[in-house]
Amino acid sequence: MQYAMIIDLERCVGCHACTIACKAEWEVPVEFGRNWVRRLGPSLVNNEMASTYYPGLCNHCKEPACVPECPADTVETTFTNPKTGEKIVQEIAATWKDPIDGTVQVDKSRCLGCGACADACPYGARYVNPALTDDVSSDGKIDKCTFCKPRVDAGATPACVQTCITGARIFGDLDDDKSEVAAYVKKQAKGIEPNGGSLGPNVLYYGKKKDIDLLFATSTPELADLGMVRRRSMLASLGRSVEKSVKSLGLLGIAGSLLAASATHEDDDSK
Amino acid sequence: MAFNLTRRRFLQSASLAAVSVPLAKVVSAETGLVESPLEAKGSLKEETVPGGVCEMCFWRCQLVGKRREGRLIKLEGNPKSIDNGSQICARGNAGIQLLYDPDRLKYPLKNVGERGNPVWKRISWDEALTECTTRLKGVIDKYGPQGISVFPHGSTAKYPMHFFERTVGTHNVSEASFFQCRGIRDTAYLATIGKAPGEKVDMPNAKAILLVGSHIGENIHVSHVKAYIQGLQNGAKLIVVDPRYSASAAKADIWVKIKPGTDTAFLLAIMNYLVQNKKFDADFIDNYADGFDEFAAGIKDWTIEKAAAECDVPAAQIKEVAELLAANAPHVSVHPGRHVSWYGNDFQRQRSLACLTALLGAYYVKGGWVPGKGPKVGGISWAKHDHGVEHNLNYDEDEERRYPYSPPGTPTELIRDAALTGKPYPIKGCVIWGQNPIQTIPGQEKMKEVLKQMDFVMCVDVMPTDATMWADILLPEVSYLERYDHIQTGTQWDFSEKNQQYIAARMPLVEPMFERKDQVFITNAIATGLGHKEEIPVQTAEEMVEKNLAVAGLSLKQLREEGGIHIQEGKDPYGVPEDFEVRLYNEDIEDYGFPGVPTYIPVEQPPAGYARLLYGRVPVHTFNRSQNNAWLHQAMPSNPVWINDETAKKMGLKDGDTVGLINSEGFKSRTTTTVKVTPGIRKDAVYMAHGYGSTNPLLSVAVNSGVDDQSLITKIAVDPETGAHGMRNNFVKLIKDDKVLDIPA
Repeated sequence: MQYAMIIDLERCVGCHACTIACKAEWEVPVEFGRNWVRRLGPSLVNNEMASTYYPGLCNHCKEPACVPECPADTVETTFTNPKTGEKIVQEIAATWKDPIDGTVQVDKSRCLGCGACADACPYGARYVNPALTDDVSSDGKIDKCTFCKPRVDAGATPACVQTCITGARIFGDLDDDKSEVAAYVKKQAKGIEPNGGSLGPNVLYYGKKKDIDLLFATSTPELADLGMVRRRSMLASLGRSVEKSVKSLGLLGIAGSLLAASATHEDDDSK
Repeated sequence: MAFNLTRRRFLQSASLAAVSVPLAKVVSAETGLVESPLEAKGSLKEETVPGGVCEMCFWRCQLVGKRREGRLIKLEGNPKSIDNGSQICARGNAGIQLLYDPDRLKYPLKNVGERGNPVWKRISWDEALTECTTRLKGVIDKYGPQGISVFPHGSTAKYPMHFFERTVGTHNVSEASFFQCRGIRDTAYLATIGKAPGEKVDMPNAKAILLVGSHIGENIHVSHVKAYIQGLQNGAKLIVVDPRYSASAAKADIWVKIKPGTDTAFLLAIMNYLVQNKKFDADFIDNYADGFDEFAAGIKDWTIEKAAAECDVPAAQIKEVAELLAANAPHVSVHPGRHVSWYGNDFQRQRSLACLTALLGAYYVKGGWVPGKGPKVGGISWAKHDHGVEHNLNYDEDEERRYPYSPPGTPTELIRDAALTGKPYPIKGCVIWGQNPIQTIPGQEKMKEVLKQMDFVMCVDVMPTDATMWADILLPEVSYLERYDHIQTGTQWDFSEKNQQYIAARMPLVEPMFERKDQVFITNAIATGLGHKEEIPVQTAEEMVEKNLAVAGLSLKQLREEGGIHIQEGKDPYGVPEDFEVRLYNEDIEDYGFPGVPTYIPVEQPPAGYARLLYGRVPVHTFNRSQNNAWLHQAMPSNPVWINDETAKKMGLKDGDTVGLINSEGFKSRTTTTVKVTPGIRKDAVYMAHGYGSTNPLLSVAVNSGVDDQSLITKIAVDPETGAHGMRNNFVKLIKDDKVLDIPA
């Protein structure tokens, strides 16, 4: 199974219902977004006037650039296919690609708030929400589109799809040949692959040729410089190890916790 | 401190250590997801409250609320709706941010400073209402009821507006929805087909759609957009006439990049082409039209070539449009538009659209203008009385109407001129209810002078606005999510589906907070104070809705049980009514001294160095009402001014440069915005979204964000048949780094 979303630009009117519904559904802070809509043009595309939109969100990539960069310790996790009962056991860090439904998810309780995954994502689909903190991270927690997994698992549609006033957002299983999303793939709907990348994005765009040309010409990103990303995640990982080791000593109390926290912050500051 | 801890981090660390949250969490075997207290809960499992009717705009989509511990956390389309369905737009979704906006009005306020520069003092409702009634009574006793002017907007303003109009007896009511928006359209169609057209074109089933200026997509009304997109998906050809490559132009088969102000010439040439080449629906004209010969003779000079020169578009393109319309007749949606108060020559353009629809035989037919047959509910309000025409400013000494096709109320300019001159009588009291006349009506400085000379100004609103700064008493109203009022009725959005009708009353989804009150409470208290207690039609808003529902055999209880919407069998919307008549030539209009056949009246062109200022909508804002909504503001925080790319190059402007604007009368924008450099606009015009640049410091999000286009609309045009404003006859230059830049032709 691979969940995917189609954005039909023939239907999209750029109204932002999707972005605002998402904000309400997932309590996204005003200044951030799990998804976005950018108006493109009017510009000349091959001497023809065009204007369209870039409604973007996490691409839940086949080979996500973000997942391998997470410095959190891994945890052995069992994933169960609700239909077949098939079980898959996998070591996962604080962000992973779900082996059952193909979505990319985050465990906020284990997230270090380092932002390495956000830096690694060429689409800018992740952000650190500074309002969410705990003893693991006082810098905030990563937040991103989950394809509304809790809603979808409960049988509902993603919030953005539900509110889309023209039916321009279509959600479904790419591996199901009879799904509407699969039908769009046959109509040449395609994802925005970063320059030189092969991530396999699972948000696919469909529209008039001139609009698709404008979208890809303006919105194809570069791959992140992973060297930079890794330096930051390594620092976060170091800080976290101190914290974890202090914690694992048991009840050190407030003083111990303060020491651990300050160590983390000094590492942060040294960046 | 050695540990470099901020106070906040210290407190966080301390509290977390004390609680000692375990690091390891149990992973759900079902999903692989971790239950984290940091994860937002989502709305799916929260209590669903039906009965909401949106008022982020006037389209009134049906809602349900998602409620957690008494607090609304999300709004959604009511899944039972046959209109908007489960879908609502960005503004609808952002209703939560209006409801809980910390800048909302909370208590009655008295201005102890001066009008326009207020200092607010919180007062009790008793004191506020006593002050309102005493001072309104003072105006009425001294100047008569005609001394009161009313500027209403929105569904709550209807009840107080009726009170002042019908019971108190002033004619001086100016609704922005008529005089700065759609009034011209309504009366032009009334003078042509006997009906106000709404936006009732059957777009889902059209083979061609003609939009003159309408920019659907930037202008969002959910079921309307659904109908439009469905039509395009079904293969309808789209023609968009607009000086700018609008959201609709981007979906069009033909974009007519017309010279602003010349639309009527374009329409006359198309109609003349259809007549000359016998490409019109002769049967329809024979059966339903009146005055065809006078009409044909009246437009015969409008050759395609003549219009091409006037409109600055290729002759071949006008012919292509005419041919495309004829080929797809009668299944053509000639959109009547909505905001049509553009140039002061608008009545004739709206008449032209109505006549073109007739030539195509596109009334009451699939894809044409089809009003649909909705259900009836009651309309209980203040009893009507005849107050004569003696103090009606729209009647002259001979009891003739100055603006014979004025929409209901009195043309704004007549009210303002009387207020400023005291002739024929003084206007010294002002009730502003839900309208923002400072940012809505052209000529801001004139409006301010009008308000300055009043003996008393009261405002009722949900939010502070640029107009509330001019109030003596400012009253806080409950929002559409906290009150009863409007009953929305209609049909299924696509006439190709099973015919159904719906009735949905606005019911509160949450309890009001602070000291906010509704329109019936406030109006009744004022009515009592003014000695009209006996005439009060209902005691509460709930009673009003209950009585109006009873007309349809319904009750609030039943509506609640039915999930907020009552749905019943509908009627076939197609088929021309027997008494339907189209007056292509209208003798009455001629008798009033105006052209009886649709006629093009040229408008003033920009002087050298200036471009015409055009304005329009963005999908995340409604007029100037939603400026302070944090979510909507964040989506589009400013209103860049569109300028042609070749023009920008000559001026040395780059995309994103910061600019101000100055108009040909010397009015300068208070704030700045950025330029959007694009080939998608003509060289003789610039464009910006309306509804930005508030001056009110109480709007902590909106104040000084973007430029207020209305502050640059100072040259006032009045449509001669209707008395409504034209607002696109102002010309601007740009200002960059304090230098005024000419805009080359």
